[in-house]
Amino acid sequence: MSNMQTSMTSHRLWFPPMQQQIFRGLLHVFSYPGRVAECTAESMTWLALLAALTGGEVTLADPHGLIAADIWPKLEARLTTPDTATFIVADGGRAMDFQPCIGSLESPETGATLLLRVAALGEHSEGGVLLDLSGPGIQGNTELSISGLHPSWLIARAGLAAAFPLGVDLLLCDDRRFAALPRTTRIKTGDII
Amino acid sequence: MSYVAIKGGKAAIDGAAAAAEFLRGHDDSGEPLKLSAIESQLRLLTSRVVSEGGLYHPRLAALAIKQFQGDTLEAAFALRAYRSTKPRLLATPVQDSTNMRCIRRISAAFKDIPGGQMIGPSYDYALRLLRLDLADENPEAFRSIGKTFLAELSEADLPDSFPKVLDALRAEGLLPPVTEGRGEPFDITREPLVFPVPRSAALATMARAETGSLLAMAYSNMRGYGDVHPTVAELRVGYIPVMVPHPVTGEPMEAGEVLVTECEVVAMYESGKAGSLPTFTLGYGACFGHNEVKVISMAILDRALQKGMQEGPVNPSEDPEFVLLHVDGVDSMGFASHYKMPHYVTFQSDMDRLRTTQGKARDADQAPQMEVKA
Amino acid sequence: MNIHYELPLEEAGYSFGFLDEYAKKEVRRTILKAICIPGYQTPYASREMPMGRGFGTGGLQLTLALIGPDDTLKVIDQGSDDSVNAVNLRQFVQLTCPGVEVTEKLEEATLIQSRHRIPEVALTEAQVLVLQVPYPDPLVVVEPSEARRKIMHAEADYSRLLVKLYEDIVHFDEITISHRYPTRINRHYVIDPSPIPRWDVPKLDQSPALILLGAGREKKIYAVPPYTVAEPLVFDDVPFRVEDFRDEHGQRRACARCGAIDSFLDEYSDDKNAKIYQCSDSAYCDGQLAQHQQQEVKA
Repeated sequence: MSNMQTSMTSHRLWFPPMQQQIFRGLLHVFSYPGRVAECTAESMTWLALLAALTGGEVTLADPHGLIAADIWPKLEARLTTPDTATFIVADGGRAMDFQPCIGSLESPETGATLLLRVAALGEHSEGGVLLDLSGPGIQGNTELSISGLHPSWLIARAGLAAAFPLGVDLLLCDDRRFAALPRTTRIKTGDII
Repeated sequence: MSYVAIKGGKAAIDGAAAAAEFLRGHDDSGEPLKLSAIESQLRLLTSRVVSEGGLYHPRLAALAIKQFQGDTLEAAFALRAYRSTKPRLLATPVQDSTNMRCIRRISAAFKDIPGGQMIGPSYDYALRLLRLDLADENPEAFRSIGKTFLAELSEADLPDSFPKVLDALRAEGLLPPVTEGRGEPFDITREPLVFPVPRSAALATMARAETGSLLAMAYSNMRGYGDVHPTVAELRVGYIPVMVPHPVTGEPMEAGEVLVTECEVVAMYESGKAGSLPTFTLGYGACFGHNEVKVISMAILDRALQKGMQEGPVNPSEDPEFVLLHVDGVDSMGFASHYKMPHYVTFQSDMDRLRTTQGKARDADQAPQMEVKA
Repeated sequence: MNIHYELPLEEAGYSFGFLDEYAKKEVRRTILKAICIPGYQTPYASREMPMGRGFGTGGLQLTLALIGPDDTLKVIDQGSDDSVNAVNLRQFVQLTCPGVEVTEKLEEATLIQSRHRIPEVALTEAQVLVLQVPYPDPLVVVEPSEARRKIMHAEADYSRLLVKLYEDIVHFDEITISHRYPTRINRHYVIDPSPIPRWDVPKLDQSPALILLGAGREKKIYAVPPYTVAEPLVFDDVPFRVEDFRDEHGQRRACARCGAIDSFLDEYSDDKNAKIYQCSDSAYCDGQLAQHQQQEVKA
């Protein structure tokens, strides 16, 4: 697994110009929730996003063991448990089995950013869900289709809806694309595709 | 109808820089200042800028003083901005000031202390009479000052380091023992201050605070807006060796030394935690360079803030938000200066409001009075 | 002391965007969280920049964290590209971000940094607006302690602020706030929108572009996401009013340079003490003039 990650990971991923580009993609998907962006790095999407975001004092949890051992030093993040981590990367196809930090009234920004690996985003593939989204960043309504996301994640998210400003912010990633569901986005789960 | 030309900003900025530079170069002597002269002959000024800039680089501090024509706020600012561009290589472990190679070391708490009262270079006991002979100093006489002093030095061996006065007080139980393992110090250059802050954040903020700001706040406490009632247990000035772990072996090695001033102040005693005897309380101050007024002020404020955080502030000097958010010279000077920037859109908005309000007041005056029915 | 130390006479070269990568990433993480909590003042460590606190260091750090070689930057102050502060900031970015284009034309810009104005022409989804903020917190006027303000914000408890506005009305018969008009974002957090005039407040509501606000000295970043509700605080019987540009006859004043009657006007006195009114947004004024000239040519 480690060889796969390293060989699939472009050298450029760790350099400022690529990280700035990836960040602009992140800025776009958080500003316009539900829109899907292409990841231009030659690497697994979730890793490219983490590389662009972590560094220094950031805490990162990896409860499903996605991150190879030799990648950790490059991320320059401190490994912690999911209940306290700033960033969590997890397999969205599995059931949710931890409680992320949702922040506090005085410091809602300490609510975690959760990167979930899913099978496919933005394509109407079998067995997926079609989400109806509204809220900040969305004119009226928009739709996002996701396949390979275990229902427990959206159920848990729905349970937090009334807790605003506390909450968790989601980043969904398939092999090539990513989309964001900040805590402010209202979801009406639509049809199973 | 004429209109105002809306071009010319760049030319104005360039002109301002040229005018300031002209004043810098407009010296009858025709001699540009040497950085070594600023660093040595104006060493206390350099110390101040090193401390407020938060970067130990006396030569660059001297450059900043030269560039900004002696304005300490601007010079400290430039040094801080330079620091911003430097990547951090590592954080040292906590350094031990007991290892300081002292050039000065005194205590007000005791008549004599182990190692002795070493006054060192100080103006404390000097008469503040202007030495007019400095107006036209003979270069040869100037150069012989150092030679004469060193020639007249006694051969007596000074100890490499001096014990801390506070350790004697601790041994007697008059001060609480040092608690080990207090965790990582707060990094004010990486994390914003979100109150309540740990003591390490308060000390770090004050260590690079503007001297006058700290002094004014501490003075308020000394004069009665507070009750620290300090005694200087020890004040020392000297060079602390900076120990860093060897990159391969991990063994501590000396990377260099930095000039530091440190003050430990003993204040009113307080009752001990449940079951233990009352002890004195402690205030601590330290900064880069040679700056005694700053560390004394800092130590008093450290004690005042600890009291404020424990019992709730009664005076401004005990309020962490009031003190820590207003003593940074770069922040405060920047904001004071920003009032000189164009504010005409907001002023336009203000005028609009005032004219509307005046209009309403005038209309109210002119309106016929309503009869008030009983 | 190392007497052999030599000064680094040749600077090793600043990294692209002046800030080191850790600083940029911290700003970037803060920006993303700020978008997720619209209007919340998100704390960050705020590096020292070579221009003074109060001169736009917060806005500048946002710009430097965002900017890449593909961007085209516009910088304005008081609406003008040529204001000394704007010139200074623009030159700094050009110095530290080689390859970045700068422009005065709004339609060419992808990134706009501004002090005290929002451009007259509506922004697009391809643009990001960065506003410079001196005072991020509208509650400062009723509560000096930051710790207490944070709780008030979290609970959306703005009762004391509303009382202050009400006292204004009782005293002066209307809300006297001119600029920095408290505005509620996404029906929760009330922000200080920076010292933009009331004229510009409606542009925050349902904006196609993301609006970021940076306070360098106060070390806060906050955001008004695109297509988000932004409502200036009002009372049912005291509506929100923008600045009044009518003359004593009730006629809406026009810009002396381009004739526009739909822009925010700066007021000057000339050497003879006559009043002159001109578009604050200089690029808008240029655009209007260019349009008139084109029309004249056609006629």
